[in-house]
Amino acid sequence: MGRLVMNSVSKKFNNFLALENVSFEVEDGEFVCLLGPSGCGKTTILRLAAGLEAPSSGDLTLDGKKISGVNKECGFVFQEYALFPWRTVKENIEFGPQVKGMTRNECERISRYYIDLVGLGGFENRYPHELSGGMKQRVGIARAYANNPKLLLMDEPFGALDAQTRNLMQSELLRIWEKEHISVLFVTHSVDEAVYLGDRVVIMSARPGKVKDIFKVKLERPRIRTSPEANIIRDSVLKSLSTQIKMASKSG
Amino acid sequence: MKNRIKILSVVIITILIAGCIESKKTPEISEPINLVKMSGQEMVQRLGTGEIAGFIMWEPYPAIAVTKGYGKNLIFSGKIWADHPCCVVAYDDDWYKKTNNSDEILKRMALVQLKSVEYINNAKQSDSPDHAQLINYTMQFGGMTDPVAANLSLADVEFVYNTNVEGTATFIQKIQDFGIFDPMKWNQSEYRNASDYANSLITNNYVEWAVNNKDEDLSKISLKEPVNIRYAYLVNDIHELPFYVGWQKGYYKDIGINIVIAEGAPFQNGAFEMQNGFKANTVDVGSLGIPPVIIHRINSNDFSNDDARVGVIAGMNNEGSVIVVANNITSMKDLQGETIGFPGPGTIQHVLFLMEADKEGLKVSY
Amino acid sequence: MKIDSGKKGLIINILSLIGFVILWQILVILARNDSFNIPFIRLRDIPTPVETWYALADSMFTRTYGPGLTYGIINHVYASLQRVVQGGIIAFIIGVPVGIGVGYSKLIGNLFNPVIEIVRNMPPMAWIPLSIFIFVFGGSIFIVFIGVIFPIILNTIQGVKSTDPRLIDAAKTLGASESMIVKKVVIPSAFPSIITGLRIGLGVGWMAIVAAEMVIRSPVGLGYFIWNMGDLGRYAEMVAGMIVIGVIGYIMNISILFFQRRFINWAD
Repeated sequence: MGRLVMNSVSKKFNNFLALENVSFEVEDGEFVCLLGPSGCGKTTILRLAAGLEAPSSGDLTLDGKKISGVNKECGFVFQEYALFPWRTVKENIEFGPQVKGMTRNECERISRYYIDLVGLGGFENRYPHELSGGMKQRVGIARAYANNPKLLLMDEPFGALDAQTRNLMQSELLRIWEKEHISVLFVTHSVDEAVYLGDRVVIMSARPGKVKDIFKVKLERPRIRTSPEANIIRDSVLKSLSTQIKMASKSG
Repeated sequence: MKNRIKILSVVIITILIAGCIESKKTPEISEPINLVKMSGQEMVQRLGTGEIAGFIMWEPYPAIAVTKGYGKNLIFSGKIWADHPCCVVAYDDDWYKKTNNSDEILKRMALVQLKSVEYINNAKQSDSPDHAQLINYTMQFGGMTDPVAANLSLADVEFVYNTNVEGTATFIQKIQDFGIFDPMKWNQSEYRNASDYANSLITNNYVEWAVNNKDEDLSKISLKEPVNIRYAYLVNDIHELPFYVGWQKGYYKDIGINIVIAEGAPFQNGAFEMQNGFKANTVDVGSLGIPPVIIHRINSNDFSNDDARVGVIAGMNNEGSVIVVANNITSMKDLQGETIGFPGPGTIQHVLFLMEADKEGLKVSY
Repeated sequence: MKIDSGKKGLIINILSLIGFVILWQILVILARNDSFNIPFIRLRDIPTPVETWYALADSMFTRTYGPGLTYGIINHVYASLQRVVQGGIIAFIIGVPVGIGVGYSKLIGNLFNPVIEIVRNMPPMAWIPLSIFIFVFGGSIFIVFIGVIFPIILNTIQGVKSTDPRLIDAAKTLGASESMIVKKVVIPSAFPSIITGLRIGLGVGWMAIVAAEMVIRSPVGLGYFIWNMGDLGRYAEMVAGMIVIGVIGYIMNISILFFQRRFINWAD
């Protein structure tokens, strides 16, 4: 359930090659973080997994089935939240179930559950513009979850938040993920974040994006950000990433 | 969001329904006859298509409509008020003051009017040698192509040259009663009553002189030096045929007056002629209905310089307007709630229509 | 004109209005006293604010003198508003779907754009002679329709085209089909623009109806009222009518703005 396989995926846009021969897997229930310099195609990988784009060569499969067209078994969480501003928190979360044709009661039940899960009880009738960044992202997560996905795709979801909120949201995400345990592919710029969250961390090279390194984060959960083991792993990851960033800036 | 849209839809639908209900209101017993301003051409056309139930207008439009079979003459204006004055010849007071020999000019204008009227009254007879020429003039001036219509249009117009102080005073009183005067302006005029105003408006001297000199040869008594007179008149108005006759037959020329058609003439109605002609000082002498003169010399006047002041020197015609109705209408009462065409508020047709409605106890909106 | 809701702004607004009225009164009085003059303009014939006020009060309701009655401004306002609302609703019903189609679909856009681009540059007033000729009744509503529909179409197109693509992506990932995306994302997202289009369109329609009423054959309507009063030389009533037209146009505008602020307040 929720096993994503990327098989020699290349993606070419009109005038440039974004990804070259990318292969890796997200195992069932695994939390994988994608790290890499800007423009290395991390977002493109997410979009390919979601089926919003199609690969130029190679393929992606989810649980053995090839991904073609928009993949309804993925949930997508955007950095800019992408909440529907004319819908309340509750209505945002109910979007997926509504689209699926569920009855009002069912939609009600689902949204009720996820509102509580992400800790937004009492805010269900607020509009997105009334919420803080952290709260908005909770809605984004709940909305994605409400669609019962096998794989959660997250595109720097906490990138727009301040440091405090960011740390808080990371813990919250893990809490939620413990309860609703699905596969997660998480794109981030932050080494700290990747090491704190991920079971594995995939380092991408500069454009055209290739998989350069994959680190296993063998830390027990709940993790302590500043434990010596965490620091070691963080250092290695950082080193690998810095190399890639240096190369990226060299090639301009 | 959804609730708000529901509320909004309800509001909009209410407005829509209210609107539709309003326009389908069942006619009450005392619904007014609705006068709507339009041009003579429009009146004839709309009567033909049935959009209006009738109109009141000066000849030749009634004749045109009748000969085309669009409708029938319901009431001649002579029936509403026998021998009522209609169009007159008037001069612009500013022109009068600044022209040296204005009196001499006006005497001769009155004389030409007299001669033209006499010509027309003779030629009206079908056995007159001038009859064919008269019909031609009528068709040209009235914008008609049908000689039958032309004959018909002449039938109910009484061409005159005499002034009519009493009739004018009656009009002024009616206009007063119908609340058409701007009260503030009326007070500024300082006329005490209808008779006072009528007397100040009309001079009979020029007609008197014309009557005394009517047998003279025109070229013998012409002005020493010819003058240009900017003349204004109403479009396609048979009432003013004497002017056209005098112009075409050269009476004005013989007597030393060079007629120049004023800027903007021929005018759609008397109101325009007063406001855009006399008041704007683009007209020296003109013919138009007496009610627009009465109304605009007050309402449109700037009393500090009296720029809309005119003087009436001669009559042009009596009667000559008709209430024309669709063929299925039998009386004024049938016109209740209907749309009737008229040349505009303040015209003589307007006042006459109100007078007739008054007689029959009907209400008219305008 | 947007009234600043801050207290200070409001006070300045009111004072400036009063100041303008006073200036107007003074100018006309001075002109009538011959104190100053502008060539080719008959300043003294302009009614003063005081005269206009009295005229407004007098002509507010239907007056009867003997057999004749003149409809009051209230009646005229109602008639004109009715036409604008009716024309506006029809324009909305037709214009919004057209705008959505043109904005969303390249094919529909290519089909409709040429006609839209040419016709929208014809001012509603230019349609008046034709509409008198073609429409037995409702010609004035057609003029309103022409005036209202193009701002609606253009603003709707813009609203549709500026739909945040991320919202569409989000909807896709949540399983929405294309028709659902149009219905549940594109249209709601374009709603503020649509309402703006309606607001602007109604403004155009309002001005157009007054022009149209000067020519059509109906005894009620603000346009007809103004023209009528002009024919009678009653300029104070005429100016009163003009002011009423302006005020109502203003009220329509801020009413919709208010509605926008209160109910469609998710715009950034």
